[in-house]
Amino acid sequence: MLNVQQVSSGRRRRLDYILLFAAASLVALGALCIMSAVNSVSFSNPVVRTHFLALPIGTVAFLMGWSFNYQIYDEQWKALYGFILILLVGVLLFGSYQRGSRSWFVLPFFSMQPSEICRVCTILVAAAFLDRRGARIREVPTLFWLSLLLLPIFGLIMMQPDFSSVVITLPALFILLYCTGANAFYLGLAVLFAAVAGFFTISWTYIYLHPDLLDYPLIKVFYGLAHNGWYMAGFAVLIALLGYGAWWLFKQFRIFLPSFYFVLATLVVLAGLAGAMVVEHQMKPHQRKRVETFLAPKSDPQGAGYNVLQAQIAMGAGGIVGKGLFSGTQSRLGFVPERHTDFILAVVGEELGLWGTLGVLGLYLLVLWRILSIAYMSGDRYGYLVCSGIFGMFFTYMLVNFGMLIGIVPVAGIPLPFISYGGSNLVASLWALGVVQSIYARRLRA
Amino acid sequence: MAVTRIFFNPRLKIMMTIAAVTGGLIALRLVDIQVLRHNAYLQMAERNRTQIIYQTAPRGRVFTADGVAIASNVPAFGLYYLGGNKDPQYLEQLARDFATRLHLPEEKLLEKLRAGAASGKATLLAENLSTKSTVALQELQFYYPGMYLIEETKRSYPYGSLASHLLGYLSSMDERQWRKRDVKLGYRLTSKIGKNGIEKKFEQDLKGKDGGVYLEVDYRGRVKSIIEDKKWAAGSDVYLTLDFAVQQAAEEGLKKSKTGRGAAVALDPRTGAVLAMASAPAYDPNIFVPYSEEDFGDATQKINEYNLAIQGVYPPASTFKIITGAAALESGTLDVNRKVYCSGKYDSGPRVFKCWGTHGPMDFFDGMSHSCDVYFYAVASQIGAAAIERVQRMFMFGRQTGIDLPGEKAGNLYGPTRRARNKTYWFIGDTLNLSIGQGELLVTPIKLAQFAAAIASRGNVYKPYYVEKIVSNQTGKTKQVGERVVLQHADLKPETYDTLFKALKHTVDTGTAARVRLRGLDVYGKTGTAQNPHGADHGWFMAFAAYPGEEPSIALAVFVEFGEGGSSAAGPIAREMLEAYFNNPAHAPKAKSQADYDELLGGETHA
Repeated sequence: MLNVQQVSSGRRRRLDYILLFAAASLVALGALCIMSAVNSVSFSNPVVRTHFLALPIGTVAFLMGWSFNYQIYDEQWKALYGFILILLVGVLLFGSYQRGSRSWFVLPFFSMQPSEICRVCTILVAAAFLDRRGARIREVPTLFWLSLLLLPIFGLIMMQPDFSSVVITLPALFILLYCTGANAFYLGLAVLFAAVAGFFTISWTYIYLHPDLLDYPLIKVFYGLAHNGWYMAGFAVLIALLGYGAWWLFKQFRIFLPSFYFVLATLVVLAGLAGAMVVEHQMKPHQRKRVETFLAPKSDPQGAGYNVLQAQIAMGAGGIVGKGLFSGTQSRLGFVPERHTDFILAVVGEELGLWGTLGVLGLYLLVLWRILSIAYMSGDRYGYLVCSGIFGMFFTYMLVNFGMLIGIVPVAGIPLPFISYGGSNLVASLWALGVVQSIYARRLRA
Repeated sequence: MAVTRIFFNPRLKIMMTIAAVTGGLIALRLVDIQVLRHNAYLQMAERNRTQIIYQTAPRGRVFTADGVAIASNVPAFGLYYLGGNKDPQYLEQLARDFATRLHLPEEKLLEKLRAGAASGKATLLAENLSTKSTVALQELQFYYPGMYLIEETKRSYPYGSLASHLLGYLSSMDERQWRKRDVKLGYRLTSKIGKNGIEKKFEQDLKGKDGGVYLEVDYRGRVKSIIEDKKWAAGSDVYLTLDFAVQQAAEEGLKKSKTGRGAAVALDPRTGAVLAMASAPAYDPNIFVPYSEEDFGDATQKINEYNLAIQGVYPPASTFKIITGAAALESGTLDVNRKVYCSGKYDSGPRVFKCWGTHGPMDFFDGMSHSCDVYFYAVASQIGAAAIERVQRMFMFGRQTGIDLPGEKAGNLYGPTRRARNKTYWFIGDTLNLSIGQGELLVTPIKLAQFAAAIASRGNVYKPYYVEKIVSNQTGKTKQVGERVVLQHADLKPETYDTLFKALKHTVDTGTAARVRLRGLDVYGKTGTAQNPHGADHGWFMAFAAYPGEEPSIALAVFVEFGEGGSSAAGPIAREMLEAYFNNPAHAPKAKSQADYDELLGGETHA
């Protein structure tokens, strides 16, 4: 990691060229792949046209983000918060429906998706709030007030609904909190909650989809938890006893931890279980199908698993060097769905091969490394927090988008910033990088 | 706000480590997908984008000896669904819009479309579409993505039922046949194979190598480009020994005959080659090349595969008198000029046998020409049944002719030796019955034709053959198939043959076989009327003919079931066959000039 002392001497650089280079490479590669994916080198193609319109706007956004002092966002965080709410309420009132969600403002020349800008703004607002809490970051009330502050934003987003926005923003905030120094125990509890809820949901769905497993008595009892109140009550008591037992065990070994921790952990496990129960009873067949697709993508190659399978076929067919730009059959002939947006990596993989995908991955890691380095170099705590949040955002994007393609994350309609088609996303992402560059430009001297 | 240093570097380090490790794991999985599983995925990608549509190669043609194609091919079209679009509504729309054009019920078409969509492979919806009906389809395929029309060929038998029993027909394979022929032999589940006759016997030669069009399709099954167009290779042509005119004369004659049931076989007595082989009723093999499965259902019921020429066994009746006569001549005890008086009946002792007429005094030639039973009763009782059986064996009665066709019947040899083996008695009545070809004696029409050829060739009992050669359309190589095979030589004395020839010519010139008398030709013949206790008598006619001074070049046997008179029913057919044969200048003796030929036929063929 770059040391602060190293930059002290000489003319001060205003721009992190490595970050700029990495991002510019990704954008250039993305533009090529979009042109290939929509099977056209012609600039009259609506997708290509829109993308090349978004590029200068994104550049302007980047320049604005870079040139503005980032501390403005800290000072004017309430205005920013209001701006987010106005945008989100506005899109609910005046937005247009696309693919079943009301997430778009349709303007004379293009449409824009406000939740993309709001995502970055939310990080800026959360960072400003946490900056103000200062050392009280480790306290529970801080988490509580932060949750309360962000609740309206998430509520409005879910009303659109824009599930993918939540999927990205929550982990980003989580990473922000972690980097800020929030109490690891509380963060751990959140992870525990998610893990418990996820484990039970996935297991139950798996059993639901494979009824022959119910022949095993233990599995039958386990599945019974979801539908039998008595089983559930017994299980809850068992968890409580386990929590108590753990506390007692620790005491025997003279490791004194507040009993409060054990109570909390037990409660979180039970809450996770309850959450899983709610999901289990609320889940609709097509959602179950999506979980199943994730569990076994090849089980139904013509149905829900088709998309992932076709994307993987495209990547695998590309091999090491790829089939060459504009010559991938999987993408050109339309076998890969959403190939210019969420599955753009399949196009990269098919046409540019392993070098292409590893290149994108490497450039992403470069971007992430630079953002974290700038966080370290930041002149103030706000800059540090903003960088952590933006790092979290891009890291989540990378994890989910790559993960979706290689089959470790369920399909969730998440684009890959800089590469995927999507003007709002590109503009917001470039603006976020501009803000990071602004933090770099105003970094701590010496 | 005071500028304060942030001291949470360990967490930044941890985050960066997590990001790096995540990136590393993703990279490993990418290597797994793109390097280790590259081949499998590449194959899947290729399978995704290519659809193969096979084009059935034109089957080899079947020619008669005089170069008429009696089985050939005509262009036809097949309509395929490429199976990309699985949208049920689209499939229903396709079924609705195409059903009438394809002459298929809508549900049936929808079923095929659904199966095709489920398999994701090109699926044949309708084949053998005529050029006429495809004009509209040709355009429609562009409005309905996924539909693809392709040129194929369709088997055609231009002369309908002509030689249908020899040709056989084509039909789809059943499961057992499919198991025997696999993809390696170039067969597909939808391939048609020969089910009978030549189509079956020479399946491997006739079947060419199917072509195929490799199409690049998109995810909706729309054709984007043709990757490869593999041209088919036509099958080899089969040349028969059949003479088109004689065959046609035989078939028409049988069709026009009194009952329309019968058989006619003509052989070349110099080689044993089949010049004509007809069996009535016949079937039209074209009906097995149907438009749709519905038509096909009917076709299987209408077909009459029974080949009377090789499978029908009947008493040879008076034609057998040639054997009796030959046995008598051979015995050396017969004076051909000694007359026997026919009073219309013959007293054998236990029983009185009747003649079919009252002929008065008969010598050998008149006895033969008038087919007088009494004369042959007298001769037979003089020489004994064993002598007649011996000559029967010389001409291989009761044995198959060995023609290369399935299901040939052997008939039945009749005589005292045979009877003795069965440990029963032989009576004088049996001898008399045998002498005029009645009783347990049974022959097939082809057997009798073989016999006629044997007499005509002075003793050569041939194994008849009907395929001359197979000529490959690819290499031009000729494979000789049929050849002259003499199964046995009937060693009768030359004088015996001379006398028989004289008697049979006498029969044509003055007697019962007068119907085949032709100007300028030496025609020999014998009629026969087989008594049928169950109904009308069967008519037989056997003959052979030659240009004067030449070897006989055609020998034939005609049989009309329930035709009553041999002369009246079978005679005209035999005559037409002989005329058809000798009207062909190619059959004129080589040494003779055209002028001689014209003179020979009295200028009938040339104006």
